[in-house]
Amino acid sequence: MAPKIEYYCPCLSESPHPPPPNLPSSSYSFHPLHNLFFCEECDAVRCNRCVLVEVSGYYCPNCLFEVPSASVRAEKNRCARNCFLCPNCRNTLTVVPSDPPENVDSRTSPIVSTTLGEPPFFLYCNHCRWDSAEVGITFEKPTGLAAQLQKFEDSAPESLEFERLKEHFEPFLRASSSSSTLPSASSHHVHTNPITAAASSALARDIPGVGKYNPLSRSRVGRDKAAHRQEYPDYKSRVEIGSAAALSGEADVEFLRHLETVSEVAALEQRWTNSWVSPLPASDLKPLRIPLQSKKSKRCPSCRHILIKPEQKAQSVRFKIKLVAANYLPAIAVTLPHAQAAIEMLKRTSKSASAAAQAEEQQAAGALIAGHSYSFHLAFTNPLYDPIQIRLAKALAPVQTAEGDAAAEAAERARRSTFQIQLPSAAFPVGAFAEAWEYDDEDEDMFLDDDGMEIVEARGKKGKDGRGKTRSVGIVEKRANVTIVSGEVLIPKEARGDVRFNMLVSYTYRSDDPEPSEEAGVGTPSRSHGTNKAPEMKNFSFYTVVDLGPIMYREEPKLTADL
Amino acid sequence: MPPIRDKFTIHSKAVVCQDVELKGDITIGAGTIVHPKATIFAIAGPIVIGSGCIIEEGAIIVNRRKEVMRIGDDNLFEIGCRVESPTVGNCNTICTRARVHHTLRMSSYCVIGAGVLVVPTEDEMLDEYTVIYGPVAERRIWSGRGKVQEMDLRRKHAEYLREMLPKFNRLRRGDGT
Repeated sequence: MAPKIEYYCPCLSESPHPPPPNLPSSSYSFHPLHNLFFCEECDAVRCNRCVLVEVSGYYCPNCLFEVPSASVRAEKNRCARNCFLCPNCRNTLTVVPSDPPENVDSRTSPIVSTTLGEPPFFLYCNHCRWDSAEVGITFEKPTGLAAQLQKFEDSAPESLEFERLKEHFEPFLRASSSSSTLPSASSHHVHTNPITAAASSALARDIPGVGKYNPLSRSRVGRDKAAHRQEYPDYKSRVEIGSAAALSGEADVEFLRHLETVSEVAALEQRWTNSWVSPLPASDLKPLRIPLQSKKSKRCPSCRHILIKPEQKAQSVRFKIKLVAANYLPAIAVTLPHAQAAIEMLKRTSKSASAAAQAEEQQAAGALIAGHSYSFHLAFTNPLYDPIQIRLAKALAPVQTAEGDAAAEAAERARRSTFQIQLPSAAFPVGAFAEAWEYDDEDEDMFLDDDGMEIVEARGKKGKDGRGKTRSVGIVEKRANVTIVSGEVLIPKEARGDVRFNMLVSYTYRSDDPEPSEEAGVGTPSRSHGTNKAPEMKNFSFYTVVDLGPIMYREEPKLTADL
Repeated sequence: MPPIRDKFTIHSKAVVCQDVELKGDITIGAGTIVHPKATIFAIAGPIVIGSGCIIEEGAIIVNRRKEVMRIGDDNLFEIGCRVESPTVGNCNTICTRARVHHTLRMSSYCVIGAGVLVVPTEDEMLDEYTVIYGPVAERRIWSGRGKVQEMDLRRKHAEYLREMLPKFNRLRRGDGT
């Protein structure tokens, strides 16, 4: 398993410390960098779990037509144009004309006469060659299919029942909505758009107690419902329930009794996109209108600043506002140099090994064996236009101090059997991000040759021992806006499990705000760094979890296979 | 194994590009089009391809058995497919990157979907109008609706290629290498 690093999002929790990484539940708080957002106002990392999501528009994934929010409710969240899903393989259906009548001499028949083709038209799936004529749906015209199918849909017994229910409850809904949802709608109308307001009021209407937490409106809704409970007349359904069961229940049982192969029953994937209960036999499945998908915009949960705002057009995948963490936080990549070297050697020596065997050997080559110590490289890439100084620290897990000798002994054993990490303690700089052609000047200053890969000795780097360049803890390489530092992990003999540890990364950068230096002491918050540079330096820190892989246990040193 | 002797019988109306890898005893019928970078290997036995077939780039047709591999008329072998089936009928479509094992025999009007791996454990003959699709190679029978239009389209496709390919590719003609 390749070593990886993930970032911690506190998700508005009170303590900034991340959970210990060996717990299985902690994996939900750690995310790879590309999943994270960054709020500039709060100066905090946000993840998909804590961010507020709103719908910014609906579109059909097939015809890419943006559906206005009013039509979304009217068309029941489906595309109103000619977009249908094949019930067999869930691909898009195309409208095709029927074949022209067969000539006797079919080999020499000319090209089809009209471009439109001949009626009747039907829906055809190019992938599985299913067509709607198998369920008896054909059309006279190739356009406006949804309208032609509407008649079929409306006459289904479930939708007739639903219409009756809606008519029955209409007067009560109007009365209760006018009294209770008005205050809550106005209070959070400021930040939401009409689509979300419509959806949330629909939800609040259907489920009592849901909606913006407002004790006043909550009790009022409860009172209304209690009042209304006496006013509801009984509802008489259209079809008697007893006989309705005979329509679907017993018929299904009969069908199942005469089954010959399992494939005759519709599979779950084929049935669950449908709004109503769909028929059991696979041959009865009707084409569905394609469900609409939504474009979402995301907001910071505390300050409500928009983090992600997509473009209005359905075809474009870009964003109007895109505050992603990758533009603010340095990207970190972790590698194990001994694994890389072993993989290179394996590649060079074994040419005829099969792919599976090679993958296994590569995995084994990169393994961390108990009783050894390995160094790992962390490559920091700076996305900002200014150089930054990074300082690393081991995150201290919140240790629960329990009394008693047994606990102390257990703690001692735990300390002996877990791995030890050594990280570079001094701050190291990472260059600013610039376009590729601007880096030539920097290279000449930093390096002795024209080689970009020269290993540089930076200030204050060598730890305790200056054994060899690859074994020491400190900066390995500095190139453009990437700096590679190395740390060491010592694995004692009794250690087991995965090598996973939390690391606190703090970096200082010159802030973008052009504040004059006199105001630096007054206007900025307490987190200004206090160096004597002219613009203010801001400090930001975040936690990460570094996962180097599982610890392998070997009795004797691994013998390299003869190849 | 005896060395493979090349013997190509290419109809004068067929369009076979220079860049095609041919090996063994191959017969190509009238109106068939073989795109560049296709591969036809008649390693153990000969291959006979009918008329009006379209063999696209990256398609691999291999015959590892001693019997003749017969491919019928108006078939379409899309890009990257691999066919070892000993009998292929007429008007079939083998879609992109599909792989057909030598135990399968195809009749006519079959469709092997894109990326499908068809490896039956014993010798099998596909019925007419069989469609194999999906990652697990599900099968169903096509009703045959739309086949006239499809054959029409294929003929137009072949005509267009016959016109265009020689303008941009060198052609390989006749017997010998």
